[in-house]
Amino acid sequence: MDFTLGEEHLALQDSARNFLSKEVKLEPYLRPETNEKPVERDGLWPAIQAMGWPGLVVPEAYGGLGMTLLDLTMIVTELGRSLAPSAFFGNIAGTWAVERCGTEEQKQALLSQVAAGELTLALAVADPNGDVNGLSAGARATGSGDQWKLNGKKSFVVEAGSADKIVVVADVDGQQGFFVVDAKAPGVKLERLDWRDITREVNAVTLTDVAAERLPQSDADSWAWIRDRLYLVLAAESVGGAEQSMTDTVAYANERIAFGRPIGAYQSIKHNLAELAGGIELAGAGVQYAAWALDENRPDARKAAAIAQSYASEQYCAMTFRSIQVFGAIGFTWEMRNHLYYKRARTNAELLGSPRDQREQLICLLEAEHQAAA
Amino acid sequence: MDFNLPAEDDPRRVEVRRWFEENPNPSYKQIAEKGYAVPHWPAPWGLSADPETQLIIEEEIERAGIIHPTTINPIAVNQCGQSLLTYGTDELRQRFLPPGLACEEKWTMLFSEPSGGSDLGALRTQARRDGDDYIINGSKIWNSLAHKAQVGVILVRTDPAAPKHHGLSMFIFEMSTPGVEVRPILDMTGHEPEYNEVFLTDVRVPASQLLGAEGQGWRIVLEQLQTERMSMANPGAVWGFGPTAHELVSGLIATGKIKDPLYRDEAASLYAEGELLRLLSARNLSKRINGTPPGLEANLGKMVASPHGQRLSALAKRTEGVAGMVRGNPELPLPEMDYGMFDSWDYSYWFAPAATLGVGTQEVLKNTISERVLGLPRDIDPTAKTPFNEISRPQLKAAS
Repeated sequence: MDFTLGEEHLALQDSARNFLSKEVKLEPYLRPETNEKPVERDGLWPAIQAMGWPGLVVPEAYGGLGMTLLDLTMIVTELGRSLAPSAFFGNIAGTWAVERCGTEEQKQALLSQVAAGELTLALAVADPNGDVNGLSAGARATGSGDQWKLNGKKSFVVEAGSADKIVVVADVDGQQGFFVVDAKAPGVKLERLDWRDITREVNAVTLTDVAAERLPQSDADSWAWIRDRLYLVLAAESVGGAEQSMTDTVAYANERIAFGRPIGAYQSIKHNLAELAGGIELAGAGVQYAAWALDENRPDARKAAAIAQSYASEQYCAMTFRSIQVFGAIGFTWEMRNHLYYKRARTNAELLGSPRDQREQLICLLEAEHQAAA
Repeated sequence: MDFNLPAEDDPRRVEVRRWFEENPNPSYKQIAEKGYAVPHWPAPWGLSADPETQLIIEEEIERAGIIHPTTINPIAVNQCGQSLLTYGTDELRQRFLPPGLACEEKWTMLFSEPSGGSDLGALRTQARRDGDDYIINGSKIWNSLAHKAQVGVILVRTDPAAPKHHGLSMFIFEMSTPGVEVRPILDMTGHEPEYNEVFLTDVRVPASQLLGAEGQGWRIVLEQLQTERMSMANPGAVWGFGPTAHELVSGLIATGKIKDPLYRDEAASLYAEGELLRLLSARNLSKRINGTPPGLEANLGKMVASPHGQRLSALAKRTEGVAGMVRGNPELPLPEMDYGMFDSWDYSYWFAPAATLGVGTQEVLKNTISERVLGLPRDIDPTAKTPFNEISRPQLKAAS
């Protein structure tokens, strides 16, 4: 057994951190006008594509690097730490949908372009009420073979505006089906939501008789397979963001003087931050384990993913709340970046279902284990 | 990265298992002589085993149905034995280690005092040099196992003129020495006493029984607490021991109480945190395997583990309702297993307030973490640099 990160992981993390510290510019997001008008995307996503990150976990057979999820979390933690506003999350969601549900030809065609940085994908799974678990798909597919039409409305689609193609989860005679549509196809209407986390673009997508290609290899487990990986990505982002928020907060607490001492000398500040340091450490261990368990296809991988996401997102929320408290009123202003982290934390905790939903998944798995043992 | 534990057919495991098969029901003396009590120590006490082998041996001891020597005689096998190994003379080691590791002589740790536990450096018990001996006078409190112990490891002030942390020294001595009086403390659980007060009146200890040099006591204590905290980052109800969230969930499922939506979410939350605590322990172990000292992260684990255990036993107790208020009543069922000292939800629950007091209070632990892990400013101790015997009430008053 070896629970520590290897040299190659640390090197990957370092290079991602260096790259993002140069490329990510949050200043434009802190200008007052961004409250009304979204920030135009800069060259970050193309730069990320040029780094080859979209192809990181794409299998080598489809032109990717075939790296592990653990490798991926090294980079995603840094994306979270820097709040990198990019299509990374949306694209990887679409990529996994194709990998899990596509035919060999579809994977050759789509994944190789993703890996080459020539194609950006997104995944539309939630219905307009935010349900991601397939109780209502929000969209219906009709047709057969290679002739499919989609109708309906999806929402909470991350980075659909940057995508060339969108993978859409739609109802096919009561079953969950996965379809690819051209983001610019006739009948596709994107509406940008006034999403609280302005470092992400989140859209509603209305589909009216949109021509679609089916990804026919999907089954009852497809969404859970994709979801567990997305849990991991969100959790890794949350750990990176929480670590950065802690770093900023400790720096401020060491600098800001009140009653003749740095405020970080007072136990009411110190003790809160110590507790959060414990939570963030645990969250990091959970992400590391979930990545390994998913990589190794362990029987407890599903539990590990649910644990990682529920715990990390709550720690991130708690840390970013505390950060604003330690900064005091200045931390409540638009011009400080505290709120960007605070909003990313909350939205990460809701995007794919709440921490309570993940705990429900966990407890259902435990009940099933007990039943099987009895 | 590999979270797999050493396999069943690992040659190191096979060898250890064979020994336990060839020596069924071994005495603790046999276990110690084989080197299995402290496998990570050098010969002749241990096997200079790497942490992975150490883990295998621990697992195989458990598998053989034997309570680990660390549980039987923790101060000798874990915290203070290590200090004797590092700082003791060869003569002292020969005298105290063999019976200690064989669990034939129980050890107790005499650190805290009635005047202060968190501010341990302010302790008042004194040892005065007298020829080839020291004469100890004072009193200690919260000494687990002292009523059963033959050996004491004591922290005393040898230089009252030095600042508080600099004037301390550590001795090992026989509890049968004249002038030692042990009185058990009935704690709030009402269970058989675990802790004691120890009074020392003109206790004469040979100077040769000093660990390390005079004035080195504080440094040795810090090293010991580090070891102890590391072992407490497991997810049991009290200090890492006792039932975990696994058993809580089992009990709630067995009784159908898991269907209650509030218990359900809370139990899931505890289960998640418990798993993460296990991972943290594994990571610390792994760091040791790779030769990196676990350092201050062990403190993080203990800080989370103590309130985790408190919430765990509190949820168990709450699900029992009014029936759980009667001592000895049947309670939330626990799967049959050896839980050690904390073998019921009831005892774990009533013991819980101590979990954030023992081995350094939660508040002191948070100070340590915020100062040494996060790099926040140190708390002010107005007495830290004053010679201990010049610390006066007026000075304390002026500082407050």
